[in-house]
Amino acid sequence: MATPPESPVEEHAYELEPNRTPKPIPVALEELCRQTKFTKQEIRVMYRGFKTECPDGVVHEDSFKDIYAKFFPHGNSALYAHYVFKAFDVNCSGAISFRELLVTLSTLLRGSVYERLRWAFRLYDVDGDGAITRQELGEVVVAVHELLGRRAPPGSPAARIDDAKANEQVDRVFRKLDLNQDGVITIEEFLESCLKDEVITRSLQMFDTVL
Amino acid sequence: MASVAAWLPFARAAAIGWVPIATHPLPPPPVPKDRRRAEDEKLLINVSGRRFETWRNTLEKYPDSLLGSSEREFFYDEDSREYFFDRDPDIFRHILNYYRTGKLHYPKHECLTGYDEELAFFGILPDVIGDCCYEDYRDRKRENAERLMDDKLSEAGDQSLPQLTDLRQKMWRAFENPHTSTAALVFYYVTGFFIAVSVMANVVETVPCGHRPGRAGTLPCGERYKIVFFCLDTACVMIFTAEYLLRLFAAPDRCKFVRSVMSIIDVVAILPYYIGLGITDNDDVSGAFVTLRVFRVFRIFKFSRHSQGLRILGYTLKSCASELGFLVFSLAMAIIIFATVMFYAEKNEQDTNFTSIPAAFWYTIVTMTTLGYGDMVPGTIAGKIVGGVCSLSGVLVIALPVPVIVSNFSRIYHQNQRADKRKAQRKARLARIRIAKASSGAAFVSKKKAAEARLAAQESGVELDDAGRDEDIFELQHHHLLRCLERTTMCDYSKNDSIEEIITKNC
Repeated sequence: MATPPESPVEEHAYELEPNRTPKPIPVALEELCRQTKFTKQEIRVMYRGFKTECPDGVVHEDSFKDIYAKFFPHGNSALYAHYVFKAFDVNCSGAISFRELLVTLSTLLRGSVYERLRWAFRLYDVDGDGAITRQELGEVVVAVHELLGRRAPPGSPAARIDDAKANEQVDRVFRKLDLNQDGVITIEEFLESCLKDEVITRSLQMFDTVL
Repeated sequence: MASVAAWLPFARAAAIGWVPIATHPLPPPPVPKDRRRAEDEKLLINVSGRRFETWRNTLEKYPDSLLGSSEREFFYDEDSREYFFDRDPDIFRHILNYYRTGKLHYPKHECLTGYDEELAFFGILPDVIGDCCYEDYRDRKRENAERLMDDKLSEAGDQSLPQLTDLRQKMWRAFENPHTSTAALVFYYVTGFFIAVSVMANVVETVPCGHRPGRAGTLPCGERYKIVFFCLDTACVMIFTAEYLLRLFAAPDRCKFVRSVMSIIDVVAILPYYIGLGITDNDDVSGAFVTLRVFRVFRIFKFSRHSQGLRILGYTLKSCASELGFLVFSLAMAIIIFATVMFYAEKNEQDTNFTSIPAAFWYTIVTMTTLGYGDMVPGTIAGKIVGGVCSLSGVLVIALPVPVIVSNFSRIYHQNQRADKRKAQRKARLARIRIAKASSGAAFVSKKKAAEARLAAQESGVELDDAGRDEDIFELQHHHLLRCLERTTMCDYSKNDSIEEIITKNC
């Protein structure tokens, strides 16, 4: 006979989940169209997908991680999804509404190179103090590598080689971005060094195309 | 992957974060050639008149099913520009919901086989049924499978009736199914009668009839009519031994038969007699001899071959072994606890019966099962309190596992009843189905003959009315096929035989 649950006598009636956060007022389509640079049809398509996944109008971090896991099934996307979520969540409320999502997407996909780089800086600045340390950069790089999945088991020589490569990449990038070599990258250094680098600017322009 | 197509822009945007750390420039993105294809379109699906509409992307979420792959093009209707399926629209609703939400539900009011067929048609595995409905689905599937297996077994059993030529096999079948032949039935009743006689003799043997000559005390009938009872016993044992040997001879797998429960009961029933023959009337071993006679009562278990209810009871007890074990264990625990407490409470009472803890066991058992013989009663107040608590808890502990055992027995018993009823109804059902098939076959044959007559009339140039002109082309072709067959085999498609029997007849 199986062990019964710990406290079978507790009998609170299963009420419907009380609203923990007030439901965000859905924003009108015209207003979104004005605030962002997307067309009505594009917003409609995106909203349909959004509503299927998050019927109550906000995305929480778990849903974010699930969506990322669908795009990168082989790796562990939880880390990178966490950083991206933090970067999207402008007011640090723990949930992203459709309006916030669309506004950020608009700057990323239709905005200028400046805006994109600024967003990238926010992504890398894990603790939000306005400066990227080597450790923060290392964390983000590890998260990006995790997206692809570890091909070698941890602790084996192949895994150590992967780690060494990642470390070397972090060092290289940090040295390139940290112009005055003081151990932190500020937003001005970041912008300056990225704009000077042709590889980066060319890659950023890649995202200018259609949705 | 199409399920998250709507989130693709967001994933691409997040990829901007990779740019600063990339060493080489990222590859250019693909440009869709046909702008129209990139936009989603709505598909119309008509299932037996009920129209469903959905986006093409929704259907393409599962490309290995019928609707998600190019297989659906086979069902496209050019005139109405929709996909038409001649299937159940109620079940299709669930299938389409699977595409929309990713969860397949199983409606409880639908028949399992019908649902399975629809799923198989649309290329969806039943394993994707959501957790909310999966257990229900599995239970019903198991029930169905059991029922079908029962039917199949009984069908197989019925079909193996002819073709047994071996004496051994015939005897074994006679033993297992006494209803197959009169001899078997007679044997069945004779053994039953002798079992009853043997048990009655055992019982009557101990009844006192008369007094011992020259001594006080009564004389049991067994000692007074020693010869009579001995003859009766011998006769019974002869019959049982003969039966056991015959069964052993007829058994297809002797080792399995020897190990089976019924054969062990048979052996235990007849062994005491033979052992008793061997032992002489010696005082040393007469105690053992008496013990052996106790085993004669096991003959009563031979009745389980004759009674199905008894077999079910035995099977139920076996299947509730864990509940029974729990009952025994909890009782043992409670007995030990209460006996210990009673002993220490009553130890110092004068002339107490509670001389030791094992002595208190008897009191505890009698109290917990609410028998209360009264041969041992507590004297002290503490003992009385403990006794009260003991009897209350006894009621609870015993009442707990009993419903489980009862419900198990009820379930197995009803299953058996259902199986028997189904077997009885099967014959009548099959007969009715056969009649219906025969009548439709006869209608077909008469139509065929009418068509032939019309053809013959046409060939000979006789004018006829257009009454039979609206026969459809399929029927005409079917008739033609049968005519070719008749011509080939030089036989006639008569209405009493089926086509298969015609083929098996050597024409």
